[in-house]
Amino acid sequence: MADTVQNYVELHDINKNYGDFQASHQINFGIEKGKLVALLGPSGSGKTTILRMIAGLETPDSGEIKIDGQVVNHIPANKRGIGFVFQSYALFRYMTVYDNIAMGLQIQKVPKQQIKERVTELLDLVSLKGLENRYPNQLSGGQRQRVAFARAIAPNPQLLLLDEPFAAIDAKVRQELRSWLKEMIGKLGITSIFVTHDQDEAMEVADEIILTNRGRIEQIGSPSEIYTYPKTAFTASFFGQNAQLEGYQAFHTFGDVPGADKALIRPEFVKVYKLDEKQQYPESASIGTVEQISFRGDRTELQINVNGLLITAKRNLGESPIAVGEQVKVFLYRIFVLKGEEVILLENEAVNSNYFNI
Amino acid sequence: MGRKNDGVLKWTLIAICAIFLFIMLILPLIYIVATALREGFGAYAAALSDEYARKAVGLTIKATLWAVGLNTVFGICAAWCITKFNFKGKKIISTLIDLPLTVSPIIAGLIFVLTFGRQSFLYDYLKAAGISIIFAVPGVILATIFVTFPYISREIIPVLNAQGTDEEEAAALMGAKTFTIFRKVTFPHIKWALLYGVVLCTARAMGEFGAVSVLSGHLRGKTNTMPLYIELLYQGYDFTGAFAVSSLLVIMAVIVLALRSILEYKGKKESEQDR
Repeated sequence: MADTVQNYVELHDINKNYGDFQASHQINFGIEKGKLVALLGPSGSGKTTILRMIAGLETPDSGEIKIDGQVVNHIPANKRGIGFVFQSYALFRYMTVYDNIAMGLQIQKVPKQQIKERVTELLDLVSLKGLENRYPNQLSGGQRQRVAFARAIAPNPQLLLLDEPFAAIDAKVRQELRSWLKEMIGKLGITSIFVTHDQDEAMEVADEIILTNRGRIEQIGSPSEIYTYPKTAFTASFFGQNAQLEGYQAFHTFGDVPGADKALIRPEFVKVYKLDEKQQYPESASIGTVEQISFRGDRTELQINVNGLLITAKRNLGESPIAVGEQVKVFLYRIFVLKGEEVILLENEAVNSNYFNI
Repeated sequence: MGRKNDGVLKWTLIAICAIFLFIMLILPLIYIVATALREGFGAYAAALSDEYARKAVGLTIKATLWAVGLNTVFGICAAWCITKFNFKGKKIISTLIDLPLTVSPIIAGLIFVLTFGRQSFLYDYLKAAGISIIFAVPGVILATIFVTFPYISREIIPVLNAQGTDEEEAAALMGAKTFTIFRKVTFPHIKWALLYGVVLCTARAMGEFGAVSVLSGHLRGKTNTMPLYIELLYQGYDFTGAFAVSSLLVIMAVIVLALRSILEYKGKKESEQDR
């Protein structure tokens, strides 16, 4: 074929409606073999529908789904060679860990001895050795997820689909499991797609992010690409911890975008100085008043009122402390300017001019 | 202060319940046993070993077994289709299932008389096929089934609803056949609720009077169930007989009630483990 890269999973012009609700609209994307991809979006954006259509749990109204070069629209879910991890894990409550993992192989009528070997191997892989006779309700959330993972990959699927795999776990364990899952999938080299609404999770775990919104795809790209160079207004506002501003012209030395609606500022775009601190680009700073300070462990977060516009900034613990009500100098490195569906990245012109002055 | 008031309220409520239960339940039960034994154990035993009495017991058990058996199958099917699938008319079906709980049993009996009796267009076909329903055992069984069919599905539906379809979906994705899914995944969930429903259905089936009364024709030794037989004895001023058979029915009911409590306890214990 002319394509240099053969995609393992491909969706062509997929549409799906539930009554009047458009769950998927003209979905097109391809996923390379061995990649770990995140379907990211707010709730109701249609990400789970896409996953379920790939799995064969839902049927698209129109369009083509290809797995390994073969159109699978009419192939039943259990013949598509996929493993599926449910959001709730859907472990069989009345079966032991062993039986849960073995179930898929038993249905395929694999000889008993082979099942035993495979289950033992998997228990080892997910570090659940010794727990094979427990029931799901006797396991912790993290252990349940690992059972669900082992169960999904037991019959050696070529494609692993995970629906919100971390949603049911408390924050601390979630962090561990993210790295665990990434490592595990990397080790197995299995093509994987997972659904999430959590941008941090997607950026940390995925090789590639597919961002969905209202049944459409907004942008596809690597985490750094999609975060740093958003192509649509939605993408820009979805990532990061944004403050939305009407009238960004209140800040100094930004170029003018005719017809712009508003601007987005991420905390990392902002640098805050105390009035007596030295500053690199003094001519382009604005004066603001600190309205609120919240302690976030490794940093403090400041809400600063600049001419009536409220922006969020971060300050490291090493820097000298700032009090509520204090006047500070605020400098913006860059902003996203939104214009309809478009987004324009504006750099502070002071940065470039000074650069030339050195 | 609030505590003290709570204490008064608590004991008042307990007293009301106790008095109510005593008058409504305990007293009549004592009376039944006392009357049954009024003429001594000999008369009691004689009343129970009477041929018609034994036949009535037999028919009651037979009708109950039929009703429970068929309603178990129907109940599982109905509960499954209502909870696992979406289709038009689902609301209507689930409402219709409750109908026997709201319709008077007498009316239920009359409906069957109209449907299968002489004036029905079905009558000729049934007669040609040699089947008699009205004033015969099949009619008794039919009436019992009708009045008891909501019990089992009503018990299972909430359990199936709470469980959702994830586990079934997971099994289906592995390629499990429908029956395997039912046996290995669905059934363990509904086991206790199903047994509980069976017990309730049994209790109701044994005691059914109204609908059965219309359809049976009160043929002594043929179509008389225990409740009908008791009424017959009572109308004939045979109090010892009537209350002796009643006491038997009460004993059967108490056994069922005990079973119910055990099942409820076991089911609860298991569902607590789930959490």
